[in-house]
Amino acid sequence: MTLFDLAVKNIRRNMKSYSLYIGSTVFSILIYFTFATLKYSNDISGAAETSKQIQGVMGAAAFVLMIFVAIFILYSNSFFMKKRKKEVALYSLLGVRKRSIGFLMFFENMVIGLLSLIIGVVLGFLLSRALLSILLKLMGLDVVAGFTFSTSALINTVIVFFIIFLVTSLMGYRVIYRFKLIDLFHAEKKGEEVPKARIVTVFLGVLALAAAYVIALQDLMDSEVWRVLGLATPIVIIALTVIGSYLLFHSVLVYVLSALKRNPHWAWKGLHMMTASQLLYRIRGNAKTLTIITVLSATTITSGGAVFGVYYNAEKNVEMYTPYTYMWEGDPQTIDPAIIESEVSFNSKMIRVPLASYEMEYAVIDETTYHTLAKNLKWPEVQKLQESEIFAIDAYYDERWSDKLESVIINDTDYKVAKFFDQALFNVGTLGANAIVVPDQLYEEMDSDEKLLQAVNVIDYKKQIEVSNELAEAAENFSSATADYNSSIESLGALLFVGSFLGLVFLVATGSIIFFKMMTEAEEDKAKYAILHKIGVSNKDMKRTIRGQVGVIFIAPLLLGLIHGGVALTATSNLLMMDFLVPVVIWMVAYTLIYAVYYIATVHNFNKLIRRSYLEG
Amino acid sequence: MEPLLLVKNVEKAYGKGVNVFNALENISFEIDHGEFVGVMGPSGAGKSTLLNILATIDTPTSGDILIGTDNIAKMDEEKLADFRRDHLGFIFQDYNLLDSLTVRENILLPLAIAKKKPAVIKERVEEIAATFGISNLLDKYPYQISGGQKQRTAASRALISKPKIIFADEPTGALDSKSATDLLESMSSLNEKHEATIMMVTHDAYAASFCRRILFIKDGQLSKEILRGRKTRKEFFQMILDELSQVGGETNDVI
Repeated sequence: MTLFDLAVKNIRRNMKSYSLYIGSTVFSILIYFTFATLKYSNDISGAAETSKQIQGVMGAAAFVLMIFVAIFILYSNSFFMKKRKKEVALYSLLGVRKRSIGFLMFFENMVIGLLSLIIGVVLGFLLSRALLSILLKLMGLDVVAGFTFSTSALINTVIVFFIIFLVTSLMGYRVIYRFKLIDLFHAEKKGEEVPKARIVTVFLGVLALAAAYVIALQDLMDSEVWRVLGLATPIVIIALTVIGSYLLFHSVLVYVLSALKRNPHWAWKGLHMMTASQLLYRIRGNAKTLTIITVLSATTITSGGAVFGVYYNAEKNVEMYTPYTYMWEGDPQTIDPAIIESEVSFNSKMIRVPLASYEMEYAVIDETTYHTLAKNLKWPEVQKLQESEIFAIDAYYDERWSDKLESVIINDTDYKVAKFFDQALFNVGTLGANAIVVPDQLYEEMDSDEKLLQAVNVIDYKKQIEVSNELAEAAENFSSATADYNSSIESLGALLFVGSFLGLVFLVATGSIIFFKMMTEAEEDKAKYAILHKIGVSNKDMKRTIRGQVGVIFIAPLLLGLIHGGVALTATSNLLMMDFLVPVVIWMVAYTLIYAVYYIATVHNFNKLIRRSYLEG
Repeated sequence: MEPLLLVKNVEKAYGKGVNVFNALENISFEIDHGEFVGVMGPSGAGKSTLLNILATIDTPTSGDILIGTDNIAKMDEEKLADFRRDHLGFIFQDYNLLDSLTVRENILLPLAIAKKKPAVIKERVEEIAATFGISNLLDKYPYQISGGQKQRTAASRALISKPKIIFADEPTGALDSKSATDLLESMSSLNEKHEATIMMVTHDAYAASFCRRILFIKDGQLSKEILRGRKTRKEFFQMILDELSQVGGETNDVI
C-alpha cells in the first residue's frame, strides 16, 4: 500500500471529522469560482455600457476575495490540524517516522484540496448562473443569463487554490516536525494566571474609541482635525478604532467581568461565576480574534450599508437634479401624448452676476414660468413677488460651503432675494443649477439672448428609455431622468451586488471563525462540564451558561461592529447628504439575522459536544 | 430505623446479545445513617461501576436504589441532577476542581447552583473551610495549591450542601501519604463528630482501614463484608490485608 492509498483511505474513513474542513474549503472555492465566472462573463461586459468600471470593481473585489479566502482556509486548516494531533501522536508512538507522517499529511491535504476543487467548481458553475441572473436584475438589464462555462475562470481558480493548498500542505508538514511526543502525555494543563485589567489600559481603550467617533462625526469643512491631518484623517480614525476595539476586549471587558465576578450578589447565583470566569480566561486570549471580527463586521456593515444606501437613494438622487423626465433646448418634439404627464415650453435669459470674488452665471425666468414649473413639480405655492424682489434657486446649495445669494443688481436696480430654494426647479443638465426668478415685467426689460426650452414629464419615466434615446438624437442640450436613472442603477447595481456578495462571504467567514473558535473551546471545556454534571448541575443550567458564554463572544464583536458601522455610516450620509436610515437599518437587521443563525448553530453544537462527553463518562 | 441507602438486586450489563458482560450482578446491601463504609475489590471487580450507579452518574440495568424514600434508579435525568445537587456529595481521585475558579468559589458552587443567599453561602464556606484547615487558601486558585489542599477543597465542596451521603472514589489515589492521612483523618472526624455518612471506594488497604465497615466486591458480586467493631485501626488494617490476600486484591501499594 502506498502512502497515497493510505491518505485516501484515511480521508474516507474519517469523513465525518473531515467534513467541517472540507466544507469550508469547498465553500471558499465555490465562492471564488462563482465570482471569477461573473468577472469573466460576457453577459455583463457585453450588456452594460459602464462595463469598464464594473470590470474594475470586480477585479478589485476578486483580489480582496482571494486574500480573504486564503486566510480563511489557513485558519480552518490550523483548526483541523489541532484536532488531529492525537492521531499524529498515535502514529508516532507506533514508530512511524516523522517523514512518513509528514508525507501522509501532505498528500492527504492535497487530496482534500483536489476533491474540494472539483466539488467547488461544479457547485460554483450552478451557483454562478443564479447569481448572474440576480446581478443582471439589480443592474436593470433585460438579458437572459447564458449557461456558459468559463475556462478562464476555471484556470484562475485552479491556480489560486493550488497555491493555497500547497502552502497549507507544507504547513501541515511543518506541524509534524514541531510536534513532540511528550506533548501527548501532558494532558494536564498548567494553570494560567487570571487576567487583571489595568485601569490605564481601560481608560486608554475608552478614550481611543471616543476620539475616533468624535473625529469621524466632525464636519469635514470646519473641523480642526481635518485641517491639521488632511487626508490622513481616515487612517487615524481607523487606527484609533482598531486600537480602541482591541483594548476594549483586552481590558475593558476583563475589567467589567472581574468586577461582576467579585460581586457575590451576582456571581454566587447559579453558574454566573462559572460563566464569568470562563469568559475572563478566554477574552484576553481571544482579544485579537474578536478585534478582527469586529473590524470585519464593521467593514461589511459600513460598505454594504453605504452601497445599499446609495442604491436605495438612486431614484431620489436622480430626481433631485433632474426633476423633469426630459428637458432640452429648442423646438418641441413629438412624443406619444398617451405617456405625457405635463409639458411646458418656456423662455430663459442668462445674466452674469458679480459676486465677492468671481462672477456667477444665472438662468433667468419670469414669475409666470416659475409658477407653471413649480406647479408641475407639486411645490408648495408661494406668494407673488413684490416690486424689487426676486426668487433665487441653487440646486447645489450646501450650507457648509455655498454662499447664499442675498441681492442682485439688474439694470442698476437692487433686487432683494425674497425666497431662496435649494432644490432644482428644472434639469440641472440642461439649464444649470443656478437660477433667479424675476417679475414678468423685469424679464421683458432685460437685455439678453433668449432661448426656448422644453420640459416634459412622462408617466413611469424609468421605463421610457426608447423615447429618451430618440429625443437625445433630435434635441439639443438634452437631459433625461430616464437615462440618468438607468446608468446609475447599472453601475450601482453592480456595486451593490459586489458589496453584498463580499459582505455575505465576510459574514460567513466571521461566523465560521467564531464557530471554530468556540468548538475548540468546547473541546477544552469538556472536562469542566463533566465536573459540573457530576456535582449535580442540571442540563438546563448548563445550557444557560453555554448560551451566555457563547453569546458574549458573539454579541460583543457584533455590537461593537454595529456601532462602528453606525458611526461610519452617519459620517458618510452627512457627507453625501443622503438619508441612509431605512437602508442601513434593513442592512443591519439582515446582517444580525444571519449572524444569529451562526450563534444558534454554535450553541447547539457546543451543547451536543459537552453532553456527549459527559454521558460517555 | 430506616436505612439511609438501600440497594436491592442491582444489575448492570454492558453490550447486547451474546456479548453481554455483567459488570454488576445481584448486588444488595444497606448503609445506615452515620456510617463510614469502604468498598474494596480487585481492578475490574465493578467498584467504580457501583459507585457511579449509586452516585446517579450511571444507571443500573435493573434493581432499585433507595436513598431515603427516593428511588434513584427510576428518576429522569433532570430530577437526578437536582437530587445530586441537593442530597449527594462527591470526592474524586483527580479532585475535579474548576481551575478558573478560586478555592472559595469552587467550594460554594453547589450552594450557588441551589440559589442560596450570599450571606448564608459566605458563612457556610468559612465554617467548612475551617473544618478542613484551608481557611487561609480561600482566595487562591487551584494551580497555586498542593494536591492535598486540592483534595481538601474538593471534600469541602462535597460537604458544603450537607448532603445525605458522600461518595468518595479513590480520594487518596493521587496523594502522598502525609496528605492522604490528613484527608482520611478529616473524613473520619466528620463521620464521628458530625455523623456524616460516607461511602468510599478504594483499593488501598490503608485508606480502607479508616472505615467502620468494608464491602468486598469480586467479579461484579458482593463477596464479603467485614466490620471494624471495637478494633483499633491497626488491627482492622491487618484484617483487611488478610482478606485481600484471599480475594486477590492489590496489596503492593500499602504502607
